[in-house]
Amino acid sequence: MEDLFALLAFGDNGWGDQIASGVLLTVSLALASLPFGLIIGFLLALAKKSEEASLRTAANIYTTIFRGLPELLTLFLVYYGGQILVQQAVRFVFPDARFEINSFVAGMIALSFVFASYASEAFLSAFRAIPAGQYEGGSALGLNRLKVMQLVVLPQLIRLALPALGNLWLILLKETALVSVIGLTDTMRQTGIAARVTKEPFFFFSIACLIYLVLALISSIGLNKIEAWTRRGEVRS
Amino acid sequence: MRLIMRIAAVAAITLAAVSTVQAKEWTKVRIGTEGAYPPFNNLESNGDLVGFDIDIANALCEEMKVECVFVTQDWDGIIPGLLADKFDAIIASMSITDERKEKVDFSKKYYNTPPAIAVPKDSKLTEASKEALAGIQFGAQSSTTHSNYAEAYFGDSDLKLYPTPDEYKLDLANGRLDAAIDDVVVLSDWLATDDGACCKILTTLKTDPEINGEGAGIAVRKEDTDLRDKLTEAIATIRANGKYKEINDKYFEFDVYGE
Repeated sequence: MEDLFALLAFGDNGWGDQIASGVLLTVSLALASLPFGLIIGFLLALAKKSEEASLRTAANIYTTIFRGLPELLTLFLVYYGGQILVQQAVRFVFPDARFEINSFVAGMIALSFVFASYASEAFLSAFRAIPAGQYEGGSALGLNRLKVMQLVVLPQLIRLALPALGNLWLILLKETALVSVIGLTDTMRQTGIAARVTKEPFFFFSIACLIYLVLALISSIGLNKIEAWTRRGEVRS
Repeated sequence: MRLIMRIAAVAAITLAAVSTVQAKEWTKVRIGTEGAYPPFNNLESNGDLVGFDIDIANALCEEMKVECVFVTQDWDGIIPGLLADKFDAIIASMSITDERKEKVDFSKKYYNTPPAIAVPKDSKLTEASKEALAGIQFGAQSSTTHSNYAEAYFGDSDLKLYPTPDEYKLDLANGRLDAAIDDVVVLSDWLATDDGACCKILTTLKTDPEINGEGAGIAVRKEDTDLRDKLTEAIATIRANGKYKEINDKYFEFDVYGE
């Protein structure tokens, strides 16, 4: 047993530092994808409830595609497909140029596209739960449309969409485990290498399990805090 | 304006056409490998990339007088990575198969681990011929190239097929089997452990391409035929000048090149 834990040592003799760098990548990739996912998702929700038919259609097509494709395929498309496409285009003008899509950026794009497609539905249902009287009341007070959105709608929207977004965040965190196929060394890749080199698969995959559980635990604590913050205006019974 | 656009387009197309005809000057080759397949290629806990594949790759690069950089990449994305120009060659113990040949091109093999026969240490067997093995209890894993090999070459033995290697290993250790056949790397890994103390390798066998396949080669993109030929040539050179043997002996007690 002690031998096993020695395998987790930091430094040249143990896998601790490798696994830690993997966890760092997992967390930073998820955190980096989140804001883009939220912003694109919010804009998509706005498009879906817009009166302009072409906007609605475009947003619905986007959601259908990125909710329908397996995430692994989206990753492949962005990373390899994007690379080949851009390369062809660049080579057409500069034959010797070599263009490379950074794998972190590709992972971020793919994950935030997928996140956005789900988040747009979460935002949309939250929008529907806000009665029209709220908008009318806002403009009756003389606020312009932007101010109504900012001061009246958004605070309620966040509260209503938060449970669904919290779920999506946890899914995003786990989806990062796919990025090892595009050459990123995340938690799964690092524990996988350690498992195969040391021939202790059960031990290292248990460690990976624990790491993801701890990340989920920290996330739910954080989400509870945010939820309490969004409900600070409510009367407690 | 339109004329200028048209000229630019024609120029661009000609440039693109010329660039595909011109052979690329290989001064730097990026090598993709998996990094999780000991003892062939694996990352160490200190971050170093080591193994037979890596040493061979370095020797080949030295021979071709090019600079080599290694890129580690999960196995599932390794062929897409090559095709998307993330690296120029895959040296990762990749078996040459017809399915892979549809997507990529291979150099000639750089190794093909032969099958071998393991026997108990006190065995009276001294050679592996059809006559010598006639009538003995002979173990193999079912539906593998090795069971096919046993059927083809040692048809007079009493062949016993097992679902996993662990079972023939147990039967060999407790005396129910007189001999067993498997890949030499699999067998010698087992013999090096405490469980394998009962037994020894009788001999390695000649590989049969019909049964065992062509072995492991270096994958390159289909258009890079010049790189493929340079690699094949370099493999032949290090094989001839003793460099290959030096690397081989560092990892294995037998010749993994096969013949």
